[in-house]
Amino acid sequence: MKVYKQLLLSNQAWASELKEENEAYFQRLTAGQRPHFLWIGCSDSRVGPEQMTMSPPGGLFTHRNVANLVSADDDNLMAVVHYAVGALEVEHIILCGHYGCGGIQAALDGGTTGPIDRWLGLARAVADDHRAELDALPRNERAARLVELNVRDQLLTLARVPVVAAARAAGTLSLHGWVYDLRDGVIKPLLELEPGDATNGVRVPERVL
Amino acid sequence: MIADPSTTPHAPHHVPTEPPARAPAASGWGRDIAASVVVALVALPLCLGIALASGAPLMSGLISGIVGGLIVGTISASPLSVSGPAAGLTVIVLGAIAALPSFEAFLLAVVLSGVFQLAVWLSRTAWISEFVPSSVITGMLAAIGLILILKQLPHAIGYDGDFEGSYAFLQPDGLNTFSTVAVTLASEVLWGAAIIAGLGLAFLFWWDAARPKDGPLRFLPGPLIVVLGGVLLNALFAGVAPDLVLLPTHLVQVPVTQGLSGLVGLLRFPDFAAIANPLVWTTALTLAIVATLETLLSINAVDRLDPRHRITDKNREMLAQGTGNIVSGLIGGLPLTAVIVRSSANADAGAVSKRSAIVHGVWLLGSVALVPALLNTIPLAALAAVLLFVGYKLAKPALFVERWRQGWTQFVPFLVTVVAILLTDLLVGIVIGLAVGFVFVIARNFRTAVTVIAEGDDWLIRARRNLYFIHKPELKAALSRVPDRANVLIDLSNTNWVDLDNVEIINNFIAGSDRRGIDVSLRGDAAGTTAARIDARQTGVRYA
Repeated sequence: MKVYKQLLLSNQAWASELKEENEAYFQRLTAGQRPHFLWIGCSDSRVGPEQMTMSPPGGLFTHRNVANLVSADDDNLMAVVHYAVGALEVEHIILCGHYGCGGIQAALDGGTTGPIDRWLGLARAVADDHRAELDALPRNERAARLVELNVRDQLLTLARVPVVAAARAAGTLSLHGWVYDLRDGVIKPLLELEPGDATNGVRVPERVL
Repeated sequence: MIADPSTTPHAPHHVPTEPPARAPAASGWGRDIAASVVVALVALPLCLGIALASGAPLMSGLISGIVGGLIVGTISASPLSVSGPAAGLTVIVLGAIAALPSFEAFLLAVVLSGVFQLAVWLSRTAWISEFVPSSVITGMLAAIGLILILKQLPHAIGYDGDFEGSYAFLQPDGLNTFSTVAVTLASEVLWGAAIIAGLGLAFLFWWDAARPKDGPLRFLPGPLIVVLGGVLLNALFAGVAPDLVLLPTHLVQVPVTQGLSGLVGLLRFPDFAAIANPLVWTTALTLAIVATLETLLSINAVDRLDPRHRITDKNREMLAQGTGNIVSGLIGGLPLTAVIVRSSANADAGAVSKRSAIVHGVWLLGSVALVPALLNTIPLAALAAVLLFVGYKLAKPALFVERWRQGWTQFVPFLVTVVAILLTDLLVGIVIGLAVGFVFVIARNFRTAVTVIAEGDDWLIRARRNLYFIHKPELKAALSRVPDRANVLIDLSNTNWVDLDNVEIINNFIAGSDRRGIDVSLRGDAAGTTAARIDARQTGVRYA
């Protein structure tokens, strides 16, 4: 069997199983979505957010890119954030990095070219901002630490996006920075920004990976 | 993709159980014809022996065998199974013939049992037999192999006290399976029989290993040689060593008739006037149940012997068996079932399709009608050699080792089935094996279903799979771990069945939660059937 056929067959099984459970299952989905969460994560094939949180369809509004980076100049992500916060009125944004992130490793090691190299500039900036702490670590622990520092810095960048800042000021939006540990499958919370919390002077989180 | 381990390519040293097919599936006539002769030779004394043990006319056993080949074989979809009179039914038949007013009334019960089997066919319920654990099926095969060996050893050396084809531990002659062997060995070695059986057995083992892989000789069935050899040897004894000659009591004894017309003259027909006799109906029902059971077990077992791993349509088999019993009863035959020994002899002789079973019926009919005198020169010792070899194949030590390697949940029911059948009889032994087998199957299939995760005051009680009745204690234990003033999420999203007893347990927990300051919320099942039965606030995905 051709490999991609397995996707189609599995999809048919998935659809028919859910339909067998509840004839109206998909009909219900057509009514529209009201998710509680916006999830910003990495594109890595091993870190599917629905799988690791057992979320059903309709549970997570999702944006994934290489190394879960946030930039106000990225129209792709900004469109997602505007729609999620402005129209869907999500109550929580989760920004989740993960152990063993190839993008973060490349930002440390260099050797990239073209669009990946340009994109990872955001991650290199994080590394530069925390150069002293990273250099003090043994070489093999730096990538894991940069994953955590990257989540913190991207979350702070996100908090300052005007639509996000407005919702936080209105008291309707919390931000969460998490890291997912590939080695045991467990998500470890790093830091949280409740609606009133300031974005200045947020301390560097404890190491969890 | 799920790969069936039995069909995946093996290492090069793997020796297939049959020579690789060299011709397209359309052929195979040669192998089927050869196998049919062997099966007919094995079937002949079994048909006669079972009729004798059932207290029925000898001809009724042969009629049953002929119908089992011609009628059942034609209708059945099973490639290798052979049907005919069954030792497993002898006790029932013996009792019924004695209790009913006439043999003709008994024949009516046979016809009616066939009608009941047709009802099973119409109701399409034969699939229930798929629930028989494989350890019980293999145990049954091994036990039959051992019984064949033990029961045939006396025949091989000249003691013919118990009838051919008996599976019972306690025999009509007051001895049991083991003591017969002992008695025979101690006192009654008939050297003529022993020589024929010994040479035959040696030849069969040698032929099994030395059979050429190419050329016409590869189709030559060893059992045929053994039977012919037995006849010739006995004739030779008559010339050179008269002391060794086997007398008719140690030979096949087919009723001698004058051709086909003589055969027809021996037929007996059911007495339909007995239809009002309740005993006819209870006999019919008993026969139908036991024959159906034995048939389905045999079919399951024979499918396992098929080198091509074909699976028989069980429902179609009920049509075949029902029709077979109706026809057999109508012309004076014993009730029939699919039978293991003849079927495994069939598989062993290299049959590839149901043609073999059908043609064996032709041989039975032809031989009984045309050449009974010739058949009556076959020494039982030669047939014993054939059956001993079949028995060895069914019960060889490698099978026990294989089961042992599969772990104790397969080995214990297997062994219990073997021992139970050896010490009682086929049916009682299987019932015991089934009971033990199911206990092990249920135990083996139990998997924990409840995951408990706690972080501070927040508790998740998650059903990772359906909460069946057997998960009651586990669910209770999980809920009892929740402390006062906890926030509990009960997650049933991965279930599509929560047993009603378990719903009750959850509702009891919820009913007591208020007093304990526990906050309970529920993530329901996709269908919402269980969620509707549970009295808790639901959380889940919102839709616009």
